[in-house]
Amino acid sequence: MKRLSLLIATTALTAAASAAATAARADITVYTAGPGGLAKALVQGFTKESGIKVNLYQATTGKVMARLKAEQSNPQADVVISASWGTATSFAKQGLLMPYTSPNAAKVPDFLKTDTAVAEGVSALAIAWNPKSGTPRPTDWSDLAKPYYKDKVTMPDPAQSGSAFELVAALDGNGQQGLFGKLHGNGVLVAGANKAALNPVLQGAKAAVFGAVDYISMAAKAKGESVDVIFPESGTVVAPRPMMILKSTTHADEAKKFVDYVLSDAGQAAVAKVYLMPARTDVPAKRPTISELKLLKLDSEGAQAKRAAILGDFAKAMGK
Amino acid sequence: MTGPRMTGPRMTGPRMTTGRLAGGLLPLLGRGSTIAALVVVVALPFAFIALQAVFPEIGAGSFARPLAHLATVLRSEDFATQTRNTLALGAGVVVASFAVGVPLAALRALTRLPGALIWDLVFLVPFMIPPYIATLGWIMTLQPAGYLQQLTGVSLGPQLFSFPGIVAVMTLHCFPVVYFAASRAFTAIGARTSDASRVFGAGPLRAFWRVTLPLATPALAASGLLVFAMTIEEYGTPAVLGARFGFDVLVTGIDTSLSDWPIDLPKAALLSIALIALSLAAFALQRWVATRRDAGVVGGKAARAATRPLCGWALPVLVLFAAVAFVSTGLPLLAILATALSRTISGGLTPDNLGLGNFRAVLADSSGALSALGTSFGLGLISAVMAGVLGLAVAFTTARRGSRGGRRAPGAALIDALSMLPNAAPGVVVALGLILLWNQPALPATPYNTLAILVLAYVCILLPQPVRYTVAAFQQVDPALEAAARVHGAGPARAAWRVLVPLVAPSVLAAMLLVFTVAARELVASLLVAPVGVDTIGTYIWRQFDQGSMGEGMAVAFLAIVATTLVPIVILSAMRRLEMPG
Repeated sequence: MKRLSLLIATTALTAAASAAATAARADITVYTAGPGGLAKALVQGFTKESGIKVNLYQATTGKVMARLKAEQSNPQADVVISASWGTATSFAKQGLLMPYTSPNAAKVPDFLKTDTAVAEGVSALAIAWNPKSGTPRPTDWSDLAKPYYKDKVTMPDPAQSGSAFELVAALDGNGQQGLFGKLHGNGVLVAGANKAALNPVLQGAKAAVFGAVDYISMAAKAKGESVDVIFPESGTVVAPRPMMILKSTTHADEAKKFVDYVLSDAGQAAVAKVYLMPARTDVPAKRPTISELKLLKLDSEGAQAKRAAILGDFAKAMGK
Repeated sequence: MTGPRMTGPRMTGPRMTTGRLAGGLLPLLGRGSTIAALVVVVALPFAFIALQAVFPEIGAGSFARPLAHLATVLRSEDFATQTRNTLALGAGVVVASFAVGVPLAALRALTRLPGALIWDLVFLVPFMIPPYIATLGWIMTLQPAGYLQQLTGVSLGPQLFSFPGIVAVMTLHCFPVVYFAASRAFTAIGARTSDASRVFGAGPLRAFWRVTLPLATPALAASGLLVFAMTIEEYGTPAVLGARFGFDVLVTGIDTSLSDWPIDLPKAALLSIALIALSLAAFALQRWVATRRDAGVVGGKAARAATRPLCGWALPVLVLFAAVAFVSTGLPLLAILATALSRTISGGLTPDNLGLGNFRAVLADSSGALSALGTSFGLGLISAVMAGVLGLAVAFTTARRGSRGGRRAPGAALIDALSMLPNAAPGVVVALGLILLWNQPALPATPYNTLAILVLAYVCILLPQPVRYTVAAFQQVDPALEAAARVHGAGPARAAWRVLVPLVAPSVLAAMLLVFTVAARELVASLLVAPVGVDTIGTYIWRQFDQGSMGEGMAVAFLAIVATTLVPIVILSAMRRLEMPG
């Protein structure tokens, strides 16, 4: 027994020691919500240019937030990139962020930056529609409540997706409160976060996603999938992806350099490459940008304050 | 021949004292280090979860507002529904797994089944398929316009997205646990025991029902408990299928409070504690069932040759095995392969949409697939060895009735309870506990943000498996064997090492294979605690899905399933060589 326990102890120590040796190298730590390809490209470009190494942790916005919260007593991250602007607002309120305005942010419009956060890029919500689904091409949100699309529409859950919540709030605030009840009557499937909504549409089990994150569908289309991204006539909402430096960082200079890099020509080109809108207006996008999209009017702060009520109304409309 | 050794452990009196001391010291040391290891691996992370449940601000190092949220969480309607659904799902999958696993195991163990070892291997495969991957495979196959409809025009979408659908998918993943535990137990009991009852006039079915099955109760109860625990802590399948028809369980509730804005760690911790309570209740039930009677049957050489011929039943039995194998293994694997070979999902199963492009991309390793495979296999092996050794140590102290005639060693109950705790905890909660524990700023050194944290997570999550398997094996060892060794002059340590350990070794090895497989593909905990910059198989595949590269993710999943199946093949064939007579 003693020998066995010794074995356990030595194995554990060896594993710990070898692993500790590999982790001590990097200079800054970046936590980011997807897409992973973009995060890797940004890190590689940054390290090549500055010589500063980056430890990258990439997960969903939810997992990134859970990890940050669990690590609160001893924060590990220097820079955080989230897919939901609400994160930046909330972190700023909690006093977790270090104020910084990058010189490269001059061409970032004012509504995409604050003292403590700046957008990495922006996505918009759209209808993702499969042209092979045998349904007519939808042009507006309300089309999906029509009989052609009976049992053929999915929608990300606004309780789970920050951007879907903003869409629901914006449609509510623009006189379309009745739409969700009609969608429910038409058999809409409200399931999971953004990702889960798209695959049934690609295979043809469903015809369209109500409120798809546009760049994911555009990337799928570029790969040859049968899916069109349609920006509805009545307007949509955008989801800027905030980039923040945590106040607890011990590598403030390096972290600032990273933010500068993401907002540089090369960094913004990498953002554009994955079909996001670059935060800077002077970097070309591979897709329609904010100035070309019609936006629904939305008071984000007001919507957040009424979050519980809005979600409650939505759930009621969906028959829950 | 003086001294207490000769006298045997049952003797009492003053002359025993020195022998007791000498014989008692080693077990005491062993027990001490076992408890120490359990405290580090299990007790401390769970203590931090408990702290989190009580003190909402513990993550920030504050003890403010204790239990502020208890009433809201427990009184909410969601909590009651989720608890009910969790119990229903767990019970459903256990019953269904017994219905599938026990008859197959009886046929495998008690008859001369053609290709027995091949079937063992085939029934390992459902275990090699990560449940979330298998579930995606089932969705791609059965949903409207899925592979089944493309091939046959039939879609089973409504059946899949239903309570029976979830139970079926999870049973196909879990029944091998029952199959292997039951067939091992039936083999150990052997046909000879039931032969004795047949001499006394019982028919073969009656002999099985009245003799073999009751004797296998400890092993069956242990496997039932494992299936129950696996089911109630499983995240992927209920999350993906349940979301489609509003079926929430505690684990999905925990994940929601960990992912949805605002992140609610205290609620997640509280729900975890509810889940742990459910599992401990199941554990108590299992102990009661398993220890009600004495099931010691390994009384010497196992009766290997005493299996019956199948005679005219060979064909129907083979058809049954093949049918179960096809549904549990063939279909999900084909669905995974079909997706991995598809250029696009919307292209469907047409010749010009199929190709090896995804596999080529994976093998070119531009996205780090191969290094993720390497990382996971290394972590899986280390975790398997550590969990196996620790599991053996735990089982040794808790289950061995040994020489003291049924009295349990002091501390055994504590060890037992600690080793069971992770059974009910979903991976994401263990991960949370590990972060809270190992990221304390006061620690001089920490495995956090190193690969060692993943080993700790895997050993913690999977420890109940080797413990249950080994405890069941110990319970089948007749105490007379150890007594015999002691009578012949072996000390307690020597008797354990030379007699008990070899007898339980196959069970420990089987459990270690299981740990390796599950650890190598673990997703939920890995996603949260993986050190920055490290990909495991699970997180890699998840990332591919997240980027919309379903095909590449499935290609890696397929390669990982093949590779994790090859390891047990090598080991099983080595065991077969050892089992060969002469």
